[in-house]
Amino acid sequence: MSHVSFREKGQDFEASFDFVVVGSGAGGAAAAATLARAGRSVALVEAGAWRDPDDYPHSAYGGLRDLTDAWGSQVTMGRALWPVVQARTVGGTTVINSAICVRTPSDIFRQWEAEHGISDLEAAVLKKQDQLERDLSVEEVQPNALGRANLLAIKGEAALGWADPHPMLRYTRGCDGGGMCLQGCSTRKKQSTNIVFVPEVLRLGGTLVTCAPVDRVLFEGTKAVGVTGRFLHPERRSKGATFTLRATKAVVIAASVTHSPVILMRSGLKLPALGKYFRAHPGTGVFGVYDEPVDMNIGATQGWASTAFRQTPGLKLETLAIPPELVASRLSGGGVQLMERLAQYRHITMWCHAVRAETAGRVTRSLFGNPVVHYTLDRPDMERFRAGMVLLARQHFAAGARAVIPGIAGMPYELSPDQVGLLDDAPLDPQKYIAILSHLFGGCVMGKDAQTSVTDGNGRVHGVQHLVIADASVIPTNLGVNPQHTIMGLAQVFAERLV
Amino acid sequence: MLWLLRSAIVIIYPRTSLPGAADCGLDAHLLKFKRETPFLIWAGTVLGALVFHFTPLFTVYLPLPAFLLPAKLADRHAAKITSTNVYLVRQAVFLVKLCAGLCWGADPEVRKRFALPPLKADPGTWRTS
Repeated sequence: MSHVSFREKGQDFEASFDFVVVGSGAGGAAAAATLARAGRSVALVEAGAWRDPDDYPHSAYGGLRDLTDAWGSQVTMGRALWPVVQARTVGGTTVINSAICVRTPSDIFRQWEAEHGISDLEAAVLKKQDQLERDLSVEEVQPNALGRANLLAIKGEAALGWADPHPMLRYTRGCDGGGMCLQGCSTRKKQSTNIVFVPEVLRLGGTLVTCAPVDRVLFEGTKAVGVTGRFLHPERRSKGATFTLRATKAVVIAASVTHSPVILMRSGLKLPALGKYFRAHPGTGVFGVYDEPVDMNIGATQGWASTAFRQTPGLKLETLAIPPELVASRLSGGGVQLMERLAQYRHITMWCHAVRAETAGRVTRSLFGNPVVHYTLDRPDMERFRAGMVLLARQHFAAGARAVIPGIAGMPYELSPDQVGLLDDAPLDPQKYIAILSHLFGGCVMGKDAQTSVTDGNGRVHGVQHLVIADASVIPTNLGVNPQHTIMGLAQVFAERLV
Repeated sequence: MLWLLRSAIVIIYPRTSLPGAADCGLDAHLLKFKRETPFLIWAGTVLGALVFHFTPLFTVYLPLPAFLLPAKLADRHAAKITSTNVYLVRQAVFLVKLCAGLCWGADPEVRKRFALPPLKADPGTWRTS
């Protein structure tokens, strides 16, 4: 087992491997595990620090500081400033998500074939997803882990007769509803990649290099031969020694939808589609106000979800418990008015939607070399966004809520059941909403045509050798479901095809 | 600047039947927040406090900074400015609310009122070997 962490200036690190994998989240760790199982020497490089569950923070403040990329401060540049939340730690966003597992819908493979000329992935990805479900102990949310918030969502769904073809599955082993998914599961129940794949890679002789944001890919002619960068101290944020990791067989980039394209840009690659076709699941929450305490933070953070509206109007619905620290800023108002609203905390619960948005944005790099996300939802997507809020409000009322809090600027703070129709005419201006981009796609999309894509259907970058992208940035369309399973399946297929 | 930010937060999160931000270790939190956040986040939060303090003319129609307003008017200003239709102003003040919420919502007394156990201290540790 080998781990190289932050090194001070003057202690430069150089090493050579068969494969260098950049990023230890869903894509990178899954790819590295596949390569290590095949007996190849692998370096897994992560920009963030390696935190074990005992190191995980407990507060939302600690979560932002220790686990997210730039304190979660990345926002979209466009009509509205919506946060783009990604992790920066060993395990990547699998550490801070709710571990929701949804197989890649078959219509997605058909769409990739029809629109992007990618034809041979479905069987291979589904086979990998079979294995991933065993490796990561996928299970349904157990009744003892649900908590009242999720039970109310199930009640509302049943009352409305929504037919969801997919049961809610998560990468958990014996989750008892600790409600701390977003800060990392310190009880080790969530099977994030730092719990499963990273230790496996190390057991198989791999090397983990942490606190090591990759600056650029090294090339010899048109062949990728390694990566380089400088260590970054996770607390002081000061730069340390230089690291150079050489790859004799290939470099695999899985640094996230925002970072992967920017690493290629910093490396001097000039591909017409690089950074383009950025897509996401923008979403927001609607609080329900109940007469009895709901205590949303007791039970699984996200213990219920529905894909019943994935095709029409193009939405995913789910519960999401957020702690008092975040509710305090999420509820509108200030002064005594805000405190009176916060006093209801035990009686409110938030359910949210993720819009299967067709809007395409782009990722560029700033003058300082960091990712910039340009993205503004267009009108059809804003209509989907609004329709999702209507569905959530109706679900709350069907579950027995006495009011809902939509959180739309310029609208009443609370809506009663007979006011829910107001949401049908809610504004379509993104600035009126507090929203977030949770699942990201694109920036290095795969496809047959080098003018409209960055990689081929095996994740190999057009026009260069030995360079593979293996994260959500290759996904050319919006999935409409949680992407972790698709990312891991694709990454393992790409890795397998490398060996 | 700390004073400016603190005074905005105390107006936005006053003591009611719940503890106010001033009851929740706010001073230590702000020092830590300033020390640990990237400069741009800190600068944005301070900017939010400036916006908060120097906009009462548009909410309660008095040419005074919020920290000089009588308590009732300051409270009315807090309610109005946090819900203003001017997006960038609302976003700037949101940063102040977020900074304070991270302190207020983690306070043991606040959590007790919400039937939640106290949070353990964040270890702030990582593996070096």
